[in-house]
Amino acid sequence: MRKSRRYVHLLALLLAFALVAAACGDDEGDTDEPIVVGGSLALTGFLAPTAAIHKVAGDLFVEQLNANGGLLGRQVVWDVRDDESTPDQAAAIYERLITEENVDLILGPYGTGTITAAMAVAEREGYVFPHHTASLTYAYTYECHFPTWPVGVDTNISNPNIVYDALEASGNPPQTIGFVLNEFPGTQLIGYGPPNSDAGGAISEARKRGWEVVLEVNFPTAISDWAPIAAQVAEADPDFLYVGALGVDGPNLLAALDAVGYTPRGHFYQWPAPGPLLGAVNSEGAMSVTVFESHPPYTDDPEAAAIVEAFGEAAAAEGIPYTLFDVQAAVSWTAWQVLTAGVEGAGSLDQREICDWLKDNPVETIIGTIDFDPAQQNYYGDLSVVKQIQGGKWVVVHPADRALPGATPQL
Amino acid sequence: MTSRGRALLGFGVVFLALLALPHIASRLDWPGFYLTFLFTAFFWITQSSSWNMLTGYSGYFSFGQGAWFGVGVYTTAVLAGKQSWGFLAALPLAGVAALVVGLLLGVVVFRLRSLGGEIFALTTLAIAFVLASIARIFPEIDGGRGSFMTSVPLPEFLGEFRPAVYRMTLVIMMLTVLTAYLIYESRLGWGLFAIRDDEQVARGLGEPVFRYKMAALGANAFFGGLMGGVWALQIGFVTVEDVFNIRVPLFVILMSVLGGTRHWMGPVVGSVIIFTIIDRFNSAGFEDFNQVFIGGLLIVLVLAVREGIYLRLRERWLAAGVIFATVMILLTLFNPSSMVWKFLWALLATLAMALVPDRAWQRLANRGGATTSAADPEREKVDV
Amino acid sequence: MSGALIGGLYALMSLGLSLSWGALDIINLVHFMFILFGAYLTYQLTSSTGIDPLLAAVIVVPVGFVGGGLLQVFFEWAGLDEFKSLIITFGLFIILQSLARTIWSADFRTLEQSINPYVSASVKVGGVSLQIPLVIAFVAATAIAFGTRALMGATYFGKAVRAVVHDADTARAFGVDPRRVGVVLAAIASAYSALAGVLIATFQALSPTMAVGWFGIVFPVVILGGLGNAVGNLLAGVIIGVAAGVATVVWGPLSASLVTFSIMVLALLFRPEGLFTRRATI
Repeated sequence: MRKSRRYVHLLALLLAFALVAAACGDDEGDTDEPIVVGGSLALTGFLAPTAAIHKVAGDLFVEQLNANGGLLGRQVVWDVRDDESTPDQAAAIYERLITEENVDLILGPYGTGTITAAMAVAEREGYVFPHHTASLTYAYTYECHFPTWPVGVDTNISNPNIVYDALEASGNPPQTIGFVLNEFPGTQLIGYGPPNSDAGGAISEARKRGWEVVLEVNFPTAISDWAPIAAQVAEADPDFLYVGALGVDGPNLLAALDAVGYTPRGHFYQWPAPGPLLGAVNSEGAMSVTVFESHPPYTDDPEAAAIVEAFGEAAAAEGIPYTLFDVQAAVSWTAWQVLTAGVEGAGSLDQREICDWLKDNPVETIIGTIDFDPAQQNYYGDLSVVKQIQGGKWVVVHPADRALPGATPQL
Repeated sequence: MTSRGRALLGFGVVFLALLALPHIASRLDWPGFYLTFLFTAFFWITQSSSWNMLTGYSGYFSFGQGAWFGVGVYTTAVLAGKQSWGFLAALPLAGVAALVVGLLLGVVVFRLRSLGGEIFALTTLAIAFVLASIARIFPEIDGGRGSFMTSVPLPEFLGEFRPAVYRMTLVIMMLTVLTAYLIYESRLGWGLFAIRDDEQVARGLGEPVFRYKMAALGANAFFGGLMGGVWALQIGFVTVEDVFNIRVPLFVILMSVLGGTRHWMGPVVGSVIIFTIIDRFNSAGFEDFNQVFIGGLLIVLVLAVREGIYLRLRERWLAAGVIFATVMILLTLFNPSSMVWKFLWALLATLAMALVPDRAWQRLANRGGATTSAADPEREKVDV
Repeated sequence: MSGALIGGLYALMSLGLSLSWGALDIINLVHFMFILFGAYLTYQLTSSTGIDPLLAAVIVVPVGFVGGGLLQVFFEWAGLDEFKSLIITFGLFIILQSLARTIWSADFRTLEQSINPYVSASVKVGGVSLQIPLVIAFVAATAIAFGTRALMGATYFGKAVRAVVHDADTARAFGVDPRRVGVVLAAIASAYSALAGVLIATFQALSPTMAVGWFGIVFPVVILGGLGNAVGNLLAGVIIGVAAGVATVVWGPLSASLVTFSIMVLALLFRPEGLFTRRATI
């Protein structure tokens, strides 16, 4: 009796496993089906407010692409998942998209950590990996990664110097400078340079110009109490305050500074959420870096102007508070342009061919012509420009040839 | 053969079968995802089984799994990622470092008899925060810049990256579950359960409760850290936020409570169930529901299935096997989706059966017209 | 100085948890959600009606009161011990956090300056300028701490609570219904947390994930203050606030949570019953 029961049990299980193993052949999709571009974005989590911009930009791009005949004559679908702002989720999603869903192409997520983790997967699987917002430039050695935020491979040197040049150009450069840095990989890189390297960053570059560094403080990414930092800033009272800020760090710091009765004389924010900083107290004169703003000369090209307008409508429809097409949307758009240019150029969906084509050919994009340079880990120099809040608006002020006509940095 | 002998033989068979899987996978041209699915499942089985050695057996509720895991992650991230050690040389130290941190905490906390279990729980919650701060402050560890593991070479005998990670996680998982089993069957396990039932009594009986608790905590930390070491390699880019968050402690609690904390198999079953469900949720693009689902499940389970799903399944093993196999077979015949999906549906059907309350189950079984047997009507019914 | 003030807020955030743990034996993580929802409701009421954010407390605090009471009814029904309460409220915590994200999204929400007169308002006291919301929080926390002690010490309700904590069966024999006492106490505790949320909304950007960050503040305060000890809780809040502030200035903001948790661990080791009492006042 007992024995026979066991056999029934065992047989049923074995049968199940055998059938399962036999049924495991997946059939391939045929060529009339749409091309699937896989990817993730931080639809939730601390990166979500800015990732929403990338969602709108990507949706709009795919919509326009399909309206104009698609890619290689096929329609395009963007399968975008939520990585919850965490690198390990992003890695899992890209792994899944590539190995389980067999997507045709991939596009990077939003944010340094998630992109870095996803890139490791792309490299293992040999997928072309265009991405827009990764900041640890020194670490990206994968030959088929294509960065579209044009900050240069030595961004820890080049980026602060673009800002410092703008300060010199104002005719009133600072004597003293203070640094308040988010303890986030990207802002730490800008501030100090890569780990285990003597290259230095914004702080050592400021010293090279003979400016006195009177404040150097790091704060955690999830900080709630800004008052002690505000007190330190007010006490050091630098001529210029360089904030390695993400998201709403800027508005929070400004509010805390205002509460102790302090207004910075000159201030810079690395990667702020543009809208909240505009609405913050004492934000007039705040600076940041960008590659595209919705004003001339950037909107001189009618095509760019049309995209800016369409984006504004789409963003408003999605309920995004800040609807101007700026640096975030522009680099997202560029990533899509790079991916589609690579596919059209290679004339196929073969990852190797797309990768080689992109390395050999320049791509026309909304932020200009970019030419990935394998000698610089596929970077192509730092194309950042400096913008400043003037009269309640973000305005590009430096360098002169790419600034809003007539605008200059004010200190 | 003794029951322990049979169990050890079972471990050996399962281990060899799973070890052979990458070869079969490459022959049958399975999607690479299957291996990823499995080694992530191994990860969670290890984390929850090791957690259960302390919390399930001794009753000392720990939020510290994230801490042991994190120490392991950063040990390999620093040694292999920054100091260029060989990965296999660094990996054991991941376990050892976690063990040391765990024992240090244990020496302090377990010596004080006045500390209740809930205070122990909070201390373990605190330790993760403290370790996160330390990792952030010292650039030698992380300094907030993140640590790369992408260029760490692996020894060639492990094979390509994915099978290599699979093999390492498999070995660690088997060691962990085996340890959980051996403790469960040993004097140590008996002592730990005595502590769980009543520590005063256990101490009164002359049991070395301090040593028992230290051993359980040490084993918990060691295996949690060891698997953390592999996780660092697999994820490639390590940040403090990703490592020291509430995900690991949350999931191990959930998985173990679901599976049942009083048996060594409980966390294994719980991990497979929860991980499969969450993985499929993510695959279907329902990431947003994950949290609600997990939270809801946690509440329902604590209230409804107090002894854990595993014991239920064992009681109703035949029904479980039949339902699981039937669903699997039906789906295989009529549904071309991937194996993991089929596994999920079969699992859910079995789970639904297991959630039927005991009393209703008895009634159901009796209505089948079977001869009555108070002890186990289900088995009798099918036999007749 | 500002550390001492923010300590008032910390104390208010912690008091609800401390009371429910000390008196009801329930480690109620949902208190973090009462704070969070209190803050979001304040944000919602203020931005849609334009009322003064502090006035929103008139609605938000009763909502917290009722919510906490109902939750306690559920706990009574389920018959939870400390561990189960920890797990179940952990589950509720996660669900409610997702709910907050569904309603208000993961974006940071900040009250516009035009409708929030408090955000950057400050008073000068002896050359030091103090943020108004923190001053209000400190005053409120102090009043509530001593008010709660008076409530527990002098009123019939307080005696009933102490009787129930001491021995529920005996209390029942003397005509005190432990369930009803528990529900009322839980409701009061939740109302405190909701009030803390109102104050947070007046000067901080809100996001659903911020609740996890409060763990690092609330638990040290609760442990240090002694379970259920309202005044000890206030002092603990101030100590933690000052310690975190000093640590931030001396070693940088990264060290703040290291210091607060070290204090908590030390407190656990040397005075597990809390710094300020041999035995909790309740």
